Amino acid sequence: MKSPGLRLFAFAYLIFLYAPIVLLPIFAFNSGTIIAFPLKGFTLHWFDQLFSNATLGQALRNSLIIAVSTAIFATTLGIFAARASTRYRFPGKPGIMGLIMLPLVLPEIIVAVSLLIVLLGIGVPLSIFTVILGHVLAATPYAIAVLNAAFSSLDKSLEEAAYDLGETKWSTFRLITLPLVLPGIVSSMLMAFTISLDEFIIAFFLAGEQVTLPTYIFSQLRFPKQIPMIMALGTCLVIASIVLLTIAEYARRRGIAKTGAKDTGGFL
Amino acid sequence: MTIKTASDRPTMIEFREVQKYYGDYHALRGISAEIRAGEFFSLLGPSGCGKTTLLRTIAGFEDISSGAVLIDGKDMSNVPANKRPTNMVFQSYAIFPHLTVAENVGFGLRRDPRSSAEKARAVEEALELVGLKGYGPRAAHAMSGGQRQRVALARALILKPKVLLLDEPMSALDKKIREQMQVELIKLQRELGITFVLVTHDQEEALVMSDRIAVMFDGEIAQLADPETLYRHPNSRRVANFIGVMNFLPARVTAESDSHVALEVPGLGPLEVTPDQVAAQTSGGEATVGFRPETLTLLYEGQTASDREAPGVIDEVVYYGDMTYYDIRLDGVSAPVRISMRNVFGRPVLDVGSRIRVAWSPGALVLFR
Ligand SMILES: Nc1ncnc2c1ncn2[C@@H]1O[C@H](COP(=O)(O)OP(=O)(O)OP(=O)(O)O)[C@@H](O)[C@H]1O
Ligand SMILES: [Mg+2]
Repeated sequence: MKSPGLRLFAFAYLIFLYAPIVLLPIFAFNSGTIIAFPLKGFTLHWFDQLFSNATLGQALRNSLIIAVSTAIFATTLGIFAARASTRYRFPGKPGIMGLIMLPLVLPEIIVAVSLLIVLLGIGVPLSIFTVILGHVLAATPYAIAVLNAAFSSLDKSLEEAAYDLGETKWSTFRLITLPLVLPGIVSSMLMAFTISLDEFIIAFFLAGEQVTLPTYIFSQLRFPKQIPMIMALGTCLVIASIVLLTIAEYARRRGIAKTGAKDTGGFL
Repeated sequence: MTIKTASDRPTMIEFREVQKYYGDYHALRGISAEIRAGEFFSLLGPSGCGKTTLLRTIAGFEDISSGAVLIDGKDMSNVPANKRPTNMVFQSYAIFPHLTVAENVGFGLRRDPRSSAEKARAVEEALELVGLKGYGPRAAHAMSGGQRQRVALARALILKPKVLLLDEPMSALDKKIREQMQVELIKLQRELGITFVLVTHDQEEALVMSDRIAVMFDGEIAQLADPETLYRHPNSRRVANFIGVMNFLPARVTAESDSHVALEVPGLGPLEVTPDQVAAQTSGGEATVGFRPETLTLLYEGQTASDREAPGVIDEVVYYGDMTYYDIRLDGVSAPVRISMRNVFGRPVLDVGSRIRVAWSPGALVLFR
């Protein structure tokens, strides 16, 4: 970064990116109810309010269930698809892979509305389960993209060698393939988890009576009194994300160090 | 020089009219051959000729379209790779990067009912066999190229396979280590008496290591013979060109009988060859005589040929230290022929443009017709 212009640009960009996040904790601990400077005083009141809010607790629980399920299902489906696309040749492969990846570019609102119509049409009651369905649909292409990279960097002859040495197809997968694509699986789960956790549109359309974190936050924005509590919630979420990403990145680096693989960047 | 395999050894691998299609692409075009027990056998050919494909039909990684592969007399059509008495050393070595050296080598013993102490001893023995004693606890991914190959060898040999398959195992090594590994592999094969099938596109490697070689082009075996026969009596110009260097001159058949073929060759004059010098190439048309660079000798001042000689002019000189290659334009021939001469102390390397005489002998020629 030699040119001062570029340096300035990078600096401005970082501020643009992180200033709102820095503001979150500032106002979360501010005793004033209006989100504006000057700050009034220090308080833990908003956190108190946050932790004693039963609806919010329900929303958080729902969101976690949805996000964890989405991470597991999307990654499992992603493993099958990535393996098929990197290992096997079959007729119509480019078309099929294209269709699977389509939700990546489809506007989410279209996906949400069409899912809603289909689900209502076949008479499935709206619940957490239908949100999971929608989120799996939305997150799977991302999972495939991450897992494709992991699977295609895996030398095919490693699996053949294990099979040649007497293992079955399944035990080969368990003993060789799985450990070697594990960093990719971790990345994929993490990505699907975060996509699901903050997804709004699909959850808004498909949750029925249930609340998720994003739909709850949205519903509270109408009440200015609630905004400092939302700030406190945001602060908690930022901390949780940082912890989660740190753990995941640590796991990924350890995996790479253990196999001596080339570090291809990964998530962070 | 390799000790030649006795031809009465039993057959270990038999290919019967093996055909392989990849979609429309005809990768193996009716391979029929036998590999004998305890033999060091090589599949040699240019890139894309189907060597790896053929090797993989032995291992069971490639289903064949028709024909049969037999190992030790048993048809392998319904035997999957993990149940075949073969093990493979892969071109990339396929070392499991998340395991230690010992875990890699002992991988094949996972289903072995022996106690873990006995298995550990077997692993240690296998490592010793390939010269990696004491390397067991190391991380496999941290080994050098040559060491990885040894690990791959030990891992493949620990199950005591009837056949060891090697797909270009030396191509990733630099020249020094490659030559060292060639010698070690030959020794290992003699010691163990296991049938080795080696895929290579390096003709020198095949000649050095093999009891017999199958030269492949375009999904077919062009010639299957021991190294000396391949070198001296190639059955086609293509094989001759692929193995070492061969000079070719156009020839005209003037007379033919059961005991000899009479030829007229520009640059060499009239000559006769015996029927065993005639390659079984059945292309018809133009006849050609071929001869290796070392079957010709440059004559220095005062030397005379023991057999026949031909005059010419030196066109090009390539000095190699122990050898010198001369490209010579024989009188009456437009294309130069290559001669290799061992450099002897006190004998000068000749200059481009010198008029010289070349000694040759009709017995060293091969006639392609
Ligand atoms: N899975 C496959 N699908 C389609 N074609 C293939 C497949 N595997 C090999 N081929 C083709 O079959 C031919 C023979 O391949 P093979 O790998 O046996 O060649 P090779 O003699 O080992 O060459 P090289 O020295 O380059 O390894 C090649 O033209 C290759 O493109
Ligand atoms: Mg090959």
